[in-house]
Amino acid sequence: MNFYDYLSFVYGAVSTIGVSFIAIIVGIPLGLGLALLRWAKVPLLGKCAYVYVSLVRSCPAVTLIMLIYFGLPQFEISLSPLVAAMISFSITATAFNCEIWRSALLSFDRSQYEAAQAFGMNRWIRFRYVLLPQVWRSSIPGLINEMTLLVKNSPAISVIGLLDITRAAQRIGARTYEPIPPLLVGFAIYIVIVMLLIKLQKHLEVRIRSAQEPL
Amino acid sequence: MNASVQHESKTHQAVLRVQGISKSFGDNHVLKDISFDMQKGEVVSLLGPSGCGKSTLLRCINWLEIPDAGHIRLNSERMGYAVNGTKVGDAQLSKMRSKIGMVFQHFALWPHMTVLENVMASPLHVQKRNRKEVEQEARAVLKRVGLEDKINMLPSRLSGGQKQRVGIARALAMKPDILLFDEPTSALDPMLVGEVLEVMRDLAAEGSTMVIVTHEMKFARQVSSRIIFMDSGHIIENRSPEEFFDNPQTDKAKTFLHSVQYK
Ligand SMILES: Nc1ncnc2c1ncn2[C@@H]1O[C@H](COP(=O)(O)OP(=O)(O)O)[C@@H](O)[C@H]1O
Ligand SMILES: [Mg+2]
Repeated sequence: MNFYDYLSFVYGAVSTIGVSFIAIIVGIPLGLGLALLRWAKVPLLGKCAYVYVSLVRSCPAVTLIMLIYFGLPQFEISLSPLVAAMISFSITATAFNCEIWRSALLSFDRSQYEAAQAFGMNRWIRFRYVLLPQVWRSSIPGLINEMTLLVKNSPAISVIGLLDITRAAQRIGARTYEPIPPLLVGFAIYIVIVMLLIKLQKHLEVRIRSAQEPL
Repeated sequence: MNASVQHESKTHQAVLRVQGISKSFGDNHVLKDISFDMQKGEVVSLLGPSGCGKSTLLRCINWLEIPDAGHIRLNSERMGYAVNGTKVGDAQLSKMRSKIGMVFQHFALWPHMTVLENVMASPLHVQKRNRKEVEQEARAVLKRVGLEDKINMLPSRLSGGQKQRVGIARALAMKPDILLFDEPTSALDPMLVGEVLEVMRDLAAEGSTMVIVTHEMKFARQVSSRIIFMDSGHIIENRSPEEFFDNPQTDKAKTFLHSVQYK
């Protein structure tokens, strides 16, 4: 492999990480929003959230990204492949994160939420000081796991011509007739990314625990 | 004439007025036209068989359940409604609720907060008072319930009796006009009941206005200024503890006292 091969790995890693990162940033709060709509049984909107999640969950990443990239221009919305990839991954992350938040909400004990109500906490205070700290804590493992899945689904972005890590490895292998070395390099990059995410999870969990066990 | 004058002057200073409260869940008519008043410093024990609507009544008082009919007035302010008679929103309702302290059977402490944080949460976030001052008062109130050495623990590390004392401290910290207790000792080991009743006895002696749902009959008799006895959604006795316990008027009350083996 020559210098340009390594450069294309860097390029691939940047688009993989970039697309995943945007999807995480968008998906975590939006997923929470949808989960809250369902948890609070908000009329109509709660149902809409349910339909959204069901549809997105049954759509493969490759299919969704093509639908976005080739479909939206029909409505006079033209997208660069990178933006299409970011939108598509954000849509998926939102749906899956919604389910993670929702299961944390379902195991949340409502009696203490009611206590918060009885103690004069308005909706925002209940959310900020009672609900969120607890569901955030129990959602962290699921959310991090979902982040690693995003990264590992990122080869899907190559169907609309973007260069991701796996696509870079494949192109190099096709040129050198030695497919294994570049694939191993790609694998190593995935390992580093996932390890960093797991480290993040540990860090968050320790930080929360130390805030909760001051003794 | 005389009686009605007395009545007028009494209702004038009522802390709590419950007027014609009715509440149904589906076709289960749980509360039927419940009315009573409470003066400042009064302790009322709310007694009655399980399922007669005691918890629902307490929950109607602070609007956790919205009654189908009737009014709740706290210091003449009508719960759930603005002065002009329109229903209030979440923010205004929260403000009204913060004048009522509530103690729950299963504690309902916030498990992610330490004892001190549980007690400080409402004064800090709801009443938006100064943190230093709130902390000082929270420590004082925890000392009062005998938990000054547990301040930095999480609720999960406490015994049931200690949890309930945190529950009481949390309610006191808001300096409410009235305290509601829903079976505060029913979830406790018999050995731990005493320490909670002790705290409540002190509160009563210091002149707190309290409504207590309890199955501790001896305690109810000792601390109450009045007993309200409910049966299937009605108040059927509302009298002094001596009168109620020594000479119950209704068969229902007699049966009830018999069933809880009071004597
Ligand atoms: N949220 C609710 N939904 C439906 N039924 C309820 C609800 N809360 C209470 N009930 C019913 O109301 C009746 C009175 O309950 P409750 O007030 O808890 O009685 P108590 O506290 O005196 O034991 C019971 O029949 C109970 O099943
Ligand atoms: Mg009850």
